[in-house]
Amino acid sequence: MSAMEFADGGAPHVGAPVRASGDCRETHWRCGLVEGTTAGAASRLVDAEYRAELRLAGGRLMRGPGYAGAPRLTRQRLARVGAMLKLRQHARYHLHAAGVVAPDGAAWLLMGETGSGKSTLAYALARGGWRVLGEDGVVLEHTASGMIAHGWRDPLRVSIELAAWFPELRRHDHLVDWQDARHRVDVDATFVKRAAIAGLIAVERSSHDSMSPLSSTRALTMLVRQATFLMLTDHHAAAHLETLRELVEAVPCFTLRHTPAQLACVHSTIMAAAR
Amino acid sequence: MRYRIVSDALSASLSDGAVLLNLYTKRYFSLNETGSRIWSLLQLQPTEEEIVQALVREYDVEVPEATRAVHQLLDDLVAERLVEATSA
Repeated sequence: MSAMEFADGGAPHVGAPVRASGDCRETHWRCGLVEGTTAGAASRLVDAEYRAELRLAGGRLMRGPGYAGAPRLTRQRLARVGAMLKLRQHARYHLHAAGVVAPDGAAWLLMGETGSGKSTLAYALARGGWRVLGEDGVVLEHTASGMIAHGWRDPLRVSIELAAWFPELRRHDHLVDWQDARHRVDVDATFVKRAAIAGLIAVERSSHDSMSPLSSTRALTMLVRQATFLMLTDHHAAAHLETLRELVEAVPCFTLRHTPAQLACVHSTIMAAAR
Repeated sequence: MRYRIVSDALSASLSDGAVLLNLYTKRYFSLNETGSRIWSLLQLQPTEEEIVQALVREYDVEVPEATRAVHQLLDDLVAERLVEATSA
């Protein structure tokens, strides 16, 4: 008889709390190039490159020192992170996952670590007529009609090295971001604003292909790891965790271990699981 | 000695276990079904013996095995500052 099967305090890479201070009423965190401090309902966001600042207080985002003069991309970066925090105050929670919508209108969330193949599988599905909510993020909301995923609009990006499987990528060769470690390029997809969630899939690269059920506890542990800002000390953590719990109880959860062969048949794999 | 859940701990119970968060240390944990039952018993600020007796009543397990499992979990939960021992 053992009870604690797994203990992993590793910080998720998006919205990762760095440390709590004092009596836990203040959290210092980092989300990409944005550093933040949250205390209660107020947050201070600082861009690590330009030191431009954005503040969230009283439910409003306000420009801080250096914001107006910062480059557009810096302001966008701060505004996006500020929006994630503001949405959390309205019971909408950002999740680091790809969201894709099947031809029947049902959304499937692909979750996994960076490099696990979320975007690649999302693109494989988009080529087959699926629509996209987000490549690297979606926003969860529990509504009266069920669990909804809202789009978190980022361009869909995949590695140019996948041209062997997706020949059309060669047309985009001149647009490759060579500064990017994965040499990604923006690709075409049809985006959708929101859809009801039909299932959760934890994706892992593997030497074999398999789709197997994932227990609710394992699925929730993965969601906790990928949930942005879950553990901030802003009084919303309990409601955020409860929404994630309701999600894994409401929809089927799976683990998809995949090889490149899956790129040609992932639609059928998911549809078979859905039955 | 009694045990109680600290105020920085959050939990989500599921049909096959539970997930725990510590908002102070920013660490998270999962429990299997047995661990989840022990966690729910901790809401009542029990002694270790009271938890063991509850498990023996509810599961097909003998006292020595239940005692080992409860003791180990309480040690882990205290070490992770999810639970604290009280003299009350």
